[in-house]
Amino acid sequence: MSTYITKRILYMIVILFAASFLIFCLYALTPGDFITGNIKLTPERKAELREIYGLNKPVIERYAIWMKNAFHGDFGYSLSQQKPVLSLFNQYIWNSFLLAVVSTFLTWLIAVVVGVVAAYKQYSWFDTIVMVALFAAMSIPSFFIGLFLIKMLAVDWKWLPPGGMLTTGSNSTGLAYVREVIHHMMLPVMVMTLLGVGSLTRYFRSNMIDVIKQDYIRTARAKGLKERKVLFTHALRNALLPAITLVGFELPALFGGSLIIEKIFNWPGIGQLYMQSFSLRDYPLLMGFTLFIAILTVIGTLVSDILYHVADPRVRL
Amino acid sequence: MKKQRIVTLSTAILASALLLSACGNNTNDNGAGNPANAGQPAANNAAGDTANNGTAADPAAGASGVVTASDLSKLPDIAKKRTDTIIVGLTDPSGAFTPYFQQSGYDGNVSSLLYTPLVKVDDKGLPIPGLAEKWDVSADNLTYTYHLRKDLKFSDGTPLTADDVAFTWTILHDKSYDGDSLVNTLNIKGGDAYKAGTATSVSGIKVIDPQTISVTLDKPNASALTLLGSDVLSKAYYGKDYKQGQLDYMKKLSGSPLGTGPYKLEKFIPGQEVRMIANENYYDGKPKTEHFIYKTAQGDTWQYLETGEVDYASFSATKENIDKLKAMGFVNILPYTPSNYGYLQLNLKHPALQDKLVRQALTYGLDRQSIYVDAAQGAGQVANIPSSPISWSYTEDGINPYKYDAEKAKELLDQAGWKAGADGIREKDGQKLTIHYLGSKKPETDIFIAVAKEDYEALGIKFEPEVFADFNALVSKVEGGDYDMASFSTSLLTDPSDGLLQFVDGEIPGYEDPAFKALYDKGLATSNIDERKAVYKDIYKLLNDQLPVIFTSYKKSVYAYNGRIQNLSVSPFNGLAPSLPKWTLSQQ
Repeated sequence: MSTYITKRILYMIVILFAASFLIFCLYALTPGDFITGNIKLTPERKAELREIYGLNKPVIERYAIWMKNAFHGDFGYSLSQQKPVLSLFNQYIWNSFLLAVVSTFLTWLIAVVVGVVAAYKQYSWFDTIVMVALFAAMSIPSFFIGLFLIKMLAVDWKWLPPGGMLTTGSNSTGLAYVREVIHHMMLPVMVMTLLGVGSLTRYFRSNMIDVIKQDYIRTARAKGLKERKVLFTHALRNALLPAITLVGFELPALFGGSLIIEKIFNWPGIGQLYMQSFSLRDYPLLMGFTLFIAILTVIGTLVSDILYHVADPRVRL
Repeated sequence: MKKQRIVTLSTAILASALLLSACGNNTNDNGAGNPANAGQPAANNAAGDTANNGTAADPAAGASGVVTASDLSKLPDIAKKRTDTIIVGLTDPSGAFTPYFQQSGYDGNVSSLLYTPLVKVDDKGLPIPGLAEKWDVSADNLTYTYHLRKDLKFSDGTPLTADDVAFTWTILHDKSYDGDSLVNTLNIKGGDAYKAGTATSVSGIKVIDPQTISVTLDKPNASALTLLGSDVLSKAYYGKDYKQGQLDYMKKLSGSPLGTGPYKLEKFIPGQEVRMIANENYYDGKPKTEHFIYKTAQGDTWQYLETGEVDYASFSATKENIDKLKAMGFVNILPYTPSNYGYLQLNLKHPALQDKLVRQALTYGLDRQSIYVDAAQGAGQVANIPSSPISWSYTEDGINPYKYDAEKAKELLDQAGWKAGADGIREKDGQKLTIHYLGSKKPETDIFIAVAKEDYEALGIKFEPEVFADFNALVSKVEGGDYDMASFSTSLLTDPSDGLLQFVDGEIPGYEDPAFKALYDKGLATSNIDERKAVYKDIYKLLNDQLPVIFTSYKKSVYAYNGRIQNLSVSPFNGLAPSLPKWTLSQQ
């Protein structure tokens, strides 16, 4: 086990190196740089600024400089925001995380419960209605459902705020603050859950259907165990196993932010920040964030492999 | 397994990059919430976005057609509850609030309220007193002397003197200065030596007494008055860590501005709000409304105006938008035209386009009225000169309107020697007449391509459009030179010479005309407005005839604001800042 982990971590480092290089090249080779889009500058001044920012150096040299600084924990200053990249992350990531963690929790909860029930009552009217509803939810574009709900719940009925994270100008603290944030996050969480729950429910449903047909379930029933126990202890545990792989993938998603949702609901998350940085070619911020997500992805897969081992002793590492 | 993982990761990155570039245009589309001006020094990257996007906007005049709220009782409760706070939507302030040291135009909007320039401009763009109560220009137009008002204070109560002004101008000449202020292009005497590090001060800047400062240029430049007459940074605050050649420390101060504006920063909540509070040390008296908030509004601003979460927003002046705003009932509507202009850049390195007749034919043969006015539901106006209708230099006298005329275009092309070939495409010396057009992805580009393709093909010109996912990619392709025609818009313009800069500084390669250059210099050689007006009239006539670019359009927009706000006016060049201190909320 420990040799396995050492080996995996070594691989991870190699992968991250390769990934960072690839990401750097990808950004550096995208047409246009941070200076290009500033229509106010004369060609002369553009050249001067490229010199100051080091954008006129060869890509390899720029990569080496970036890597060297990154090793010293210095991810640089965002060119457009004039702030250290890490402090920007700290300002925005937690807002994205808050939305993601709540909606992921709700998505999994609903998906497991509905999936299990639908599988147990396969082809019943409940199953049919759920499946139709899920397909409908999966096929609605997020911007449409987002704007539609804003129109209904915020503009017309005025139940929920149309966006943002706080009531503008609010000075609330403590519990009142928490209540305000919850009030504001209801709409985005609703939309995110709605969009995510479809595929996950279908996943659990099909896993569950496979498991229910196994011999050991028949055995468990034959022993005279209660149906509830058969379903939730024997069947569900086995049906959840393949889902461990998904847990690994959820990790980067928790911190990555959601471009469309954040934009529609004016949520101060990292997804928006990333999007703007891309159109401005704000390299330090782009590099820092993409690498951060790459690290989470690699860690996520490691975690899910280890969890596999913990959950299922048959899996050898 | 490992290999597969690398592949998966890299494809994921690639895919996300593609997705991003595909979405890239969205960031340019949400400008409806950018109501205020970027302030004089701060049109920049984001304003670059602004410039290539329809609705985002900046102030400008056209006071006709004001619509007042029809039914204030429709005002949402949430707005009624605010008695000492005004909220304005702003796309995306990033938190860098030091003038000259910011990259985003939205930050410029914020700093224009936190700082007051030495010289403001009126609704026509003519200079009026700001922190400086008057100024003198020497007879040779080389020396500018500014006289500051008495007892000026920064928002912390410390006095503002000529030393602070000198400090501000000096650090803009530092070699590590990486902002986009044009002060360092004015050729101030000794500026280059300071930049090179061979002098420890800029010799042309002279503090005469605490209230008086003068600056001497090497070459006359009439735009210097307003360029230099901008915001003032406190030497005590911003200069205490300054060493020549080292301005990095300024980044640390970007979130804690110390200014002279009507408001001072109370709190910045990233991605959400910029809260400001009235500055009791403002030279013109403490503003009437205690709190002012810029609310970050990334997406659409409609819902915030409708629900009363913001008091003020700007929209493209389409008929649809105006009707919708009127239906709201509780907003006043104020139309305006921004100070920039749109144009089609032509590749003058290509032989066909070097011919003036061909450029004129391309202008006559393009139905600009349909593209920029009719298809935009009236939210535009056709441009024929490099100046906005709101500028003091604007004129239509003697200007050829190049009204759409396909016959005239054909005639000009015949005259230029381009004859229809076997396939209907015109050719000359074995070369076919093709236009390779570049645009960035947005609805306006789609309209342009649809109309231009039809118009140009009717003339026997092959039209090959290419659309880019975002603005930077477009500019980079144009810089590469592989194009014939590309859509652009200028940044916001204050002085008439700003709109002409691109014709002299090499931004339009291949355009060199000594007659134009001479006029350009002449326009800057005097500060006398009447003399300048005459020169700019000649310049506009010249460019209108030569068409180094095809002038296309001015945008038209509207401000919509809560009918409770009294005394609101918007300066075309300085945005909200001049009238904001007087805004009040009527109680009802």
